[in-house]
Amino acid sequence: MNDIIVNADATEVGGTGNVMIDVTNVDKYFGDFQALHGINMKVGEQEVVVVIGPSGSGKSTLIRCINRLERHDRGSIVVDGVELSDDIRNIQEIRRETGMVFQSFNLFPHLSVLENITLAPRNVRNVPKAEAEATAMELLERVKIPDQARKFPGQLSGGQQQRVAIARSLAMKPKVLLFDEPTSALDPEMIKEVLDTMKDLANEGMTMICVTHEMGFAREVADRVVFMADGEIVEVGTPEHFFTNPQEERTQLFLSQIL
Amino acid sequence: MSNSGLSAGDAQLMNAVAEAEAESARHGQDLTPGQWAKKNLFDGVLNSIFTLVFGSIALVTIWFGARWFIDSDWEIVRANLRLFMVGQFPRDDLFRLWVSGYIVVFMGGFVAGAMAHNAQDLADMQGVEYERATWGSLLRRFWTIIAIIIFFVSFARTALPYIGVAGGMVLAVGSRELGWRAPAAVRARSVYIGAALFIISMMVLAGTSRLGGFALGAVALAWVASETGKRDLPGGGAGMVQRWAPAILVAVVVFVVTVLLPYDGYGWEDWGGLHITLFTTVFGIGMGMPIGILLALGRRSDLPVLKTASVIFIEFIRGVPLISLLLFSNLMLPLFLPGDRPADLTLAVIVITGFSAAYIAEIVRGGLQAVPKGQTEAAQASGMSAGAVQRLIVLPQALRAVIPAMVGQFISLFKDTSLLSIIGILEFLRVSDVANAQPDFVGKGLAPVTYVFVALGYAAFAYTLSKESRRLETRLGVGVR
Repeated sequence: MNDIIVNADATEVGGTGNVMIDVTNVDKYFGDFQALHGINMKVGEQEVVVVIGPSGSGKSTLIRCINRLERHDRGSIVVDGVELSDDIRNIQEIRRETGMVFQSFNLFPHLSVLENITLAPRNVRNVPKAEAEATAMELLERVKIPDQARKFPGQLSGGQQQRVAIARSLAMKPKVLLFDEPTSALDPEMIKEVLDTMKDLANEGMTMICVTHEMGFAREVADRVVFMADGEIVEVGTPEHFFTNPQEERTQLFLSQIL
Repeated sequence: MSNSGLSAGDAQLMNAVAEAEAESARHGQDLTPGQWAKKNLFDGVLNSIFTLVFGSIALVTIWFGARWFIDSDWEIVRANLRLFMVGQFPRDDLFRLWVSGYIVVFMGGFVAGAMAHNAQDLADMQGVEYERATWGSLLRRFWTIIAIIIFFVSFARTALPYIGVAGGMVLAVGSRELGWRAPAAVRARSVYIGAALFIISMMVLAGTSRLGGFALGAVALAWVASETGKRDLPGGGAGMVQRWAPAILVAVVVFVVTVLLPYDGYGWEDWGGLHITLFTTVFGIGMGMPIGILLALGRRSDLPVLKTASVIFIEFIRGVPLISLLLFSNLMLPLFLPGDRPADLTLAVIVITGFSAAYIAEIVRGGLQAVPKGQTEAAQASGMSAGAVQRLIVLPQALRAVIPAMVGQFISLFKDTSLLSIIGILEFLRVSDVANAQPDFVGKGLAPVTYVFVALGYAAFAYTLSKESRRLETRLGVGVR
């Protein structure tokens, strides 16, 4: 990829070049408040896109629209060739292919770690129990906490919980992972273990959209950085571009505040 | 991992804190009675005044209470003990009540033992600290019930009730031990075994009937479906068939066999006393719970018809006094029901079930609202259907959170069943009036004696239940979450 700035146009696809997510002219309102203004964005297969921006800028809303946790009001969203519509089967087909990791982990407190991970594959994909548990253990190895399998979420540290949440979303073998500020609720000493896990995933070729304030992560892992403000995409570019030569005034202001 | 090191350190710290607390508790016990009294009762002017004022009130109450107790003529209770306990259940068939009671005691002991062992295994697996139940702790938990049963039986004029109660206590201890020692596979199924035993205990009294067959069939359905659900089933229709077909088959067989068994008994119109009070409460909550959960889900539904119907039902039932509902059951409900007029108690039980369902619905709704939105979102995001999200994620958490409130509802329904006397059902409280109207006792002013007897009965059960509910509250707080 190159240094070109396609201002407010995030439709230049990276990764393998195959379009995995295609967001076209999306508007979203909460009552009278317009949260998203004509968003255009494409994400390629195996690409890692980091979305940054001040709070209230619509970053979370955008990725929550992609798996229909929020309903967009105008425009179209296509995930791996399937367009989101109001049809629930359609929505669930997309949700099966997209994993999501939340800021507050949202592990199921009444289920053990192992059950948290095997629940969706068993319930949604009808994976046999033994197979689901074997996969879950592999995933726990991958996030480096296989010894916590029998515990309950409340017994784990925040970092461990978030790694379980990542394993849980991977259990459905998704084509895309959406991260909604995955480290914002963590104590500083636990951020690294989660970011390391995410880096491993990126290196393994997972398609990812990441809403985060971790600029180090963005610099190291992102193929593209998208800066949003006031519900619009303001500036798009490579990490180098952002950290050396941001063009827009709002971008400069934001980066000067957080760096 | 640095984290496991951290948590091990935490655990050590917590152990140290716990030990320090235990240490100070031990020191507390080292005080002589005099020192203890000075420290706790007279460590200041205000505290001393409180101690003296409330101490004298307590002493006066105990003094007059004890004198009244000794001076009163308890013959009315001795003469009517059977009426208080079981109403007008036919005398020749009293053994059925004993058998039924023993089955219930066995069920309670067995299920309690099995569940306690399951809970301990789970806690061990998670590495949670857990207070081991001992016979001493069980005695502390249930001493009120044991005391009140001994109090009741002390009015008996023959030896049989003494023997029967002693046997029941031995059975309770033995069945709990049996439940504790049962293999894990049996313990995991103890709830189904318990439910089946409970229904069988009812049928020992009432004989086989379609209602009994239906109830037993429902337990069989749930049990078999849970067994078949453990296997790996294909998705879609085939999986549904493989899961539910055997369950339905077994349920139908159980129903047919139960109905065909030629065994007659005494329906609940022949029951009475404390027995009918307890039965109506258990039945009202047991049936009200599933209906209440459905109503709560209905109230939160997006479908306007379902939502409106649920709201109207819940708000109407909660908006009128139970007594008017019971009068409705007696005077108007028969007009809506086809066929012959059912027994008064049947009508009342229908209304009581609806009544507790409405209250339980509101309790459950509170629990549903307390489940964070993120839980639903996380489940939805993994592609689970709306029904599965409610069933597997939201409801289990909501129900666990409202167990204490549910026990509270149980206690209040237990006391509310005394209103059944209004429509002429011979429940625990009304026996008191009936006894005072007997030729031997009428006009002797013995109502206080019988009322105190009844009040002690209510209080002992309600106190134990409320203690259990507080225990659940603390356990749910520390346990799994």
